[in-house]
Amino acid sequence: MGTTVTHAPALEGLTEDSGPPSGPARLVKPPELKRRLRRENLAGYLFMSPWIAGFLLLTAGPMVASLYFAFTDYNLFDPPKWIGLDNFSEMFGDPRWRHSVKVTLWYVVVGTPLKLLAALGVALLLAQKRRGQAFYRAAFYAPSLIGASVSIAIVWKAIFSDDAVVDQTQQFFGIDAGGWTGDPELIIYSLVALTVWQFGAPMVIFLAGLKQVPRELYEAAEMDGAGTWRRFWNITLPMISPVLFFNVLLETIHSFQIFSSAYIVGGGAGGNACGPADGSMVYTCYLYVQGFENSRMGLASAMAWLLLIAVALVTAVLFWSQKKWVHYEEGAR
Amino acid sequence: MGTTRNVERRTILKAAGATAATLGLAATTGCGGDSGSSSDGTVTIRYAWWGADDRAKRINQTIALFEKKYPKIKVKTDFQPYTDFWKKFNTQASGGNPPDVFQNAIGFLRKYDSKNVLLDLSAQVKAGNLSMDGFRAGLDKFGEVDGKLLGVPVGSNSMALVIDQPVYTRSGVTPKQGWTWNDFHAAMLKIHQKTGRAGDSGMYGVMYLYDLYLRQNGKAFFTTDGLGFTEADLKDWWTKAEQGLEQGEFADAKKVAQVKPKSAVAAELAAGEFTWDNFTIRYTSEGKSQYRLAPIPTTDGKKTGQYLGSLMLSASKRTKHPKEVAQFINFMVHDPEVAKIMGYDRGIPATQAQYDAFKPTDEVNKSIAAYEESLVASGVLEPITPHPSGADICESAFLRIAEELALGTRSVDDAVKQFFTESKTALTA
Repeated sequence: MGTTVTHAPALEGLTEDSGPPSGPARLVKPPELKRRLRRENLAGYLFMSPWIAGFLLLTAGPMVASLYFAFTDYNLFDPPKWIGLDNFSEMFGDPRWRHSVKVTLWYVVVGTPLKLLAALGVALLLAQKRRGQAFYRAAFYAPSLIGASVSIAIVWKAIFSDDAVVDQTQQFFGIDAGGWTGDPELIIYSLVALTVWQFGAPMVIFLAGLKQVPRELYEAAEMDGAGTWRRFWNITLPMISPVLFFNVLLETIHSFQIFSSAYIVGGGAGGNACGPADGSMVYTCYLYVQGFENSRMGLASAMAWLLLIAVALVTAVLFWSQKKWVHYEEGAR
Repeated sequence: MGTTRNVERRTILKAAGATAATLGLAATTGCGGDSGSSSDGTVTIRYAWWGADDRAKRINQTIALFEKKYPKIKVKTDFQPYTDFWKKFNTQASGGNPPDVFQNAIGFLRKYDSKNVLLDLSAQVKAGNLSMDGFRAGLDKFGEVDGKLLGVPVGSNSMALVIDQPVYTRSGVTPKQGWTWNDFHAAMLKIHQKTGRAGDSGMYGVMYLYDLYLRQNGKAFFTTDGLGFTEADLKDWWTKAEQGLEQGEFADAKKVAQVKPKSAVAAELAAGEFTWDNFTIRYTSEGKSQYRLAPIPTTDGKKTGQYLGSLMLSASKRTKHPKEVAQFINFMVHDPEVAKIMGYDRGIPATQAQYDAFKPTDEVNKSIAAYEESLVASGVLEPITPHPSGADICESAFLRIAEELALGTRSVDDAVKQFFTESKTALTA
């Protein structure tokens, strides 16, 4: 057994044998090097294999299976029965399904812009130099670190329940609504509030974007007499538009996938899993009900694939629209 | 042999080792709990039930007792709240890995029998590993479906009206055996007028109560393969519910939804609630008042339509240890010590031996015992037919749609239509 390990072959190959990767006089690879490269690749794949195995077993495999189930009647116990497009036609005919689509779209269309506005607004405030800046950044970022957890959803439910903090505050101002989480109309607002509160992640990205805007642009604009609003509108916004696009894309996709907060705030353990009178029944919530409560895995798979297609379409539209409003610096595209 | 070669081979070996380890790990976690026999002949069985922490503590004590008496059998346990329990169970059972023995109820017998999940325990009765003697009030027949023994009752309970006694007293309402629905509605309004509290938490969504009402009128919620009532019947029931809500007879559904999983009675939103009699124990631990049992209102002054319900222990068809599972169930339903530990947590013990072993001393348990004794004595009890496959989905649809009605998002007609549509899907699926 070798005891004189000095360095790995990968390093050796790069430093001694190969020249610059794209020099004008590129050396023809000697067979020895080829062999080494092949061995390196092999080692690389071997190291990656846990991930590859995980991907194939836990992601790709189930996806293929679920695509198949989407066209079957499958209750987990009996073998899946091929029914073609019946799951899809059942969905479109189901008023609960249509309701869930409506609730989800509402949540995405209202929640996402509000969250991004909050993120951008706070990022603009925090981009300026001031005392305790690091503390503020951490404080505003913290909710999105813990925000996705079940415990926060439980806290949220408690805050917005009957006779809890929010209800009492309302009562102080003479509005007796009796808590948000029991009201089919109001519960969705508490979910929007929850997502807006978690604006930390897009905020950090906005902050990074704001730091990239060249100072001299502002200086030049100021000399030309442009006011704050004008500078924001004509310099900041176009300059951070790639970052804005990134955030819009990510948060939209994220919003479509809302589940745990809706499931917990909307009931979870007691009775209806999707809020009072389906008030917070977002798409994934109904998918969960069909799959795990009604044991209709075929239908649930079909729903999942439809969601995937819908999100892909929305993403495609956003990518198409970016040509009109996202400004990349020359050559940065 | 060059050093570089050596290193390289080791690198690859390590990578391969890591992969194998990860895959191995994935394989073991994927399979979940192992129920098997070890080399010394010790057998491990898995036991799952639904319930809360208090029940878990009691069950763990009974298991310690069992393992002491049967040192060759180890029991691994798992528990969840009711709805989560069935989600997990479904997933496990469909993956071919259900618990060996588990808590079960009437609404699931046919469902899981049709899916080939339940073990017919009659072979174990014949083999002498499980005794079906000594059960009270015909409970030994409770878990039989189509000649198969699919569940063994651990306790019996019955629908009741659980009331907040001081509120009833303050309103001057005294429920009596044989009171009618008209008496009941008048009493609810009286409570609301005198105390400001709603009389009832919202009975229109309780499937088991509606079943009793139907039985009082010669029908039933379920037949062996479908619904035992018409759209007109349900429209009648839910129209009364709507009127009751307007008059303050029933609690504000918005508030009831928000206190869940706490009951509206314990949360002081309503003076009473129709539920299983053993829930009095839970309400007592949840709420501050004194909770007692009142009889079910009747249509003709006599017939309540009541039957004994029961939690059961069922075994998985896939268990590798049917004998040990049968011994376990036998111990749990017959051993007097078990009854002393469990009390009335799962209803009144199903066997006479266990019933005699636990004599309650506190007011709550005493009133449960008195209530059930009065039911047996008054001869109102009827037999129950096991629910059809899909009944559990009908039940949750009934509850949900009734709640939507109460919250005002559905009209009575719309609610009735929706329930029949969903039930049809559930019962034919």
